[in-house]
Amino acid sequence: MAATLTRPRPGRSRLVWRNTIAGWSFILPNFVGFALLTLAPVMALFYLAFTNWNVFGVAEWTGLANFRRMWGDASFWTALRNTLYYTVLHIPLTMAAALGLALLLNRRIRGVGFFRTAAFFPYITSIVAIAVVWNQLFSPEYGPVNAFLRAVGVHSPPGWTTSADWSMPAVVIVGTWREMGYYMLLFLAGLQTIPTQLYEAAKIDGATAWQRFRHVTIPGLRPTTFFVVVMLTIGSFKVFDLILVMTEGGPGQSTLVLSQYIYQKGFVENQFGYASAVSIVLFAICFGVTAVQFWINNRRENR
Amino acid sequence: MTRAIPGAVCTAMALTLLLAGCGGEDEPVDPNAPVTITLAGWSLSSTPEFKTLADGFRATHPNVTVELKEYDAANYDTQMIADLAAGTAPDVYVLKNLKNFYTYQSGGQLLDVSDAGSVLGALPALAPYQVDGKTYAVPYRQDSWVLYYNKDLFDTAKVPHPTGDWTWDDYAAMAKRLTAGLKAAGSTATGAYQHVWQSTAQGFALAQTPGADLLSGDYAYLKPYYQRSLDLQAAGAQPTFGTANTNKLTYQAQFGKQQSAMLLMGTWYVATLLNQRTSGDADTFEWGIAPAPQHDRSTTGTSATPVTFGDPTGMGINPKISKSKVPAAQAFLAYVAGEDAGKALAGIGITPARATAPITETLFALDGVPDDALSKFAYGTHEIRPENPVSRHTTGIQNVLADLHSAVMSDSKSLDEAITEAQARARSEVLTQ
Repeated sequence: MAATLTRPRPGRSRLVWRNTIAGWSFILPNFVGFALLTLAPVMALFYLAFTNWNVFGVAEWTGLANFRRMWGDASFWTALRNTLYYTVLHIPLTMAAALGLALLLNRRIRGVGFFRTAAFFPYITSIVAIAVVWNQLFSPEYGPVNAFLRAVGVHSPPGWTTSADWSMPAVVIVGTWREMGYYMLLFLAGLQTIPTQLYEAAKIDGATAWQRFRHVTIPGLRPTTFFVVVMLTIGSFKVFDLILVMTEGGPGQSTLVLSQYIYQKGFVENQFGYASAVSIVLFAICFGVTAVQFWINNRRENR
Repeated sequence: MTRAIPGAVCTAMALTLLLAGCGGEDEPVDPNAPVTITLAGWSLSSTPEFKTLADGFRATHPNVTVELKEYDAANYDTQMIADLAAGTAPDVYVLKNLKNFYTYQSGGQLLDVSDAGSVLGALPALAPYQVDGKTYAVPYRQDSWVLYYNKDLFDTAKVPHPTGDWTWDDYAAMAKRLTAGLKAAGSTATGAYQHVWQSTAQGFALAQTPGADLLSGDYAYLKPYYQRSLDLQAAGAQPTFGTANTNKLTYQAQFGKQQSAMLLMGTWYVATLLNQRTSGDADTFEWGIAPAPQHDRSTTGTSATPVTFGDPTGMGINPKISKSKVPAAQAFLAYVAGEDAGKALAGIGITPARATAPITETLFALDGVPDDALSKFAYGTHEIRPENPVSRHTTGIQNVLADLHSAVMSDSKSLDEAITEAQARARSEVLTQ
């Protein structure tokens, strides 16, 4: 940076040189780490996806065989369907919950700091602890959730994580509960960048609270919303840990998601070639959806 | 800027270390020179068997030191596969379950140890480790599944103790009788506890049903076993699969804290129960071991040989071991599957691969182990069939059947539907790949 900003003048080139070295030496350890631990495995992934490899020995080049196999693999499609199911449910729910919380906690009320912390708390709690506690809450016979539902007159409350129909909603509820605090924080930051004059002007013009929200808050939050949607999309497509500890993909295959399928094929069944091929599909989906989101956002901004 | 230099130096050093680990060595052979071989184990502080074997071997081979290398118990195979692929694995490593033997053997990660195997004589648990007439690992443990029962709770429920002649229908009827009797006596314990693992239903079904074959793609043999389990949980004679899962029930607490009168479990639980009684994690009560209930009358009773299941735990040699250490490693393998190691293992409550009368006596002489005749019979006499027959399809099939297990036990799918689906998946996703 220093080199491009300050033109080297006679007598100062030594300083520029030293700054360049310093700059590189700061970046290098991190970059070497990135190259070794991230870049190289990612490159290897694209190669392995076209091979048959069980870790030991040499990977055998099989061309598109893995992708053809995926086409006829019912479990792959189940995992893909479940991943989409999770994503479609999780994104709007988390957005709504996070924005709602942010609007609520963006006022000057007593103890707002406490409430903000409380909302953020699930995000920093260990995912295993969360899963264990929620599993108990969701226990069909003795859990407080169903006890409450029975108390308010629901005669046969859902089986939650023990029922194939309700396991995914149960996981989505916990996922939303866990992440809403983090996205609330992003929305809070976004809300604070909206100039208060805009609200005052709208008020003077006689805009109702809904109109102010619709015409000042929402447009003002657009950059934040875009960022949140992109992050949520990527996060939802690669959901793994929560489902693994809550349901292990069950009952049956009702909560099997793509990342877990990749783990199962790769590390449990030692089919690293096939697992790599599925990873590439997951990558392509994330990349495609994010690219579309960027495209839509750019079109809006340029309007 | 000055801070960046140590960082760079560290990176360089780490790289050097990584590269240095890859080199192989070739030393001259000298039979009496001191040798150190490394052995993989897991949870060393709570799993004394590895140290017992290392110390026991040292007593007869003073020039050989067996150095333990600790792995994580839950991720043992993942870590071991990574280390073997990287060339940094210990000289001798444990095959924790039979399921991954195929991966190691077909991947060329096991040395031919036929020499060590030939001195062992007739050891039924050796067969799974033999491929094309060569032996690739030797068993040192051979657990089998038996029925643990709480004598005190049987008495509370006023139900006679098991006599070793139960079929599964007898077991189910007894579980219901026990539950009713315990309830009448004011106890909240259930008659039975079936843990959430697929083994608890599928292991017995595979071992006991005539003609059942894991690799056939036909899983109708599972049906009666699941019907009984579902019936027992519907009758309240055992906690439901959902409750066990959502509340993370452990079998150790269910039986050890007297929450259930009967527990089907492997013989490894003997050592755990003894330890937990000492530590206070389990109550002190009278208990016993009975043979696992049988498919039909032909194998019941103490004059017959009950059929049960269990996989051996074996040890093999890493092919990257330096040549000079191979004789010591082979000698160690011959030791761990032999009579002396068997006694040493039985002395800490572990079931060795070799089941001779003196070894059984050693285990039953331990303080806290029941000494009745039925317990000794159940422990010492049975035909053990493997839960995971060695094949490249085993892991895949077991994953398909694990999905069947959770779908059926949680009542998410009807039994017929789940079996049909598992058969279709086994054929399209595993057996034809």
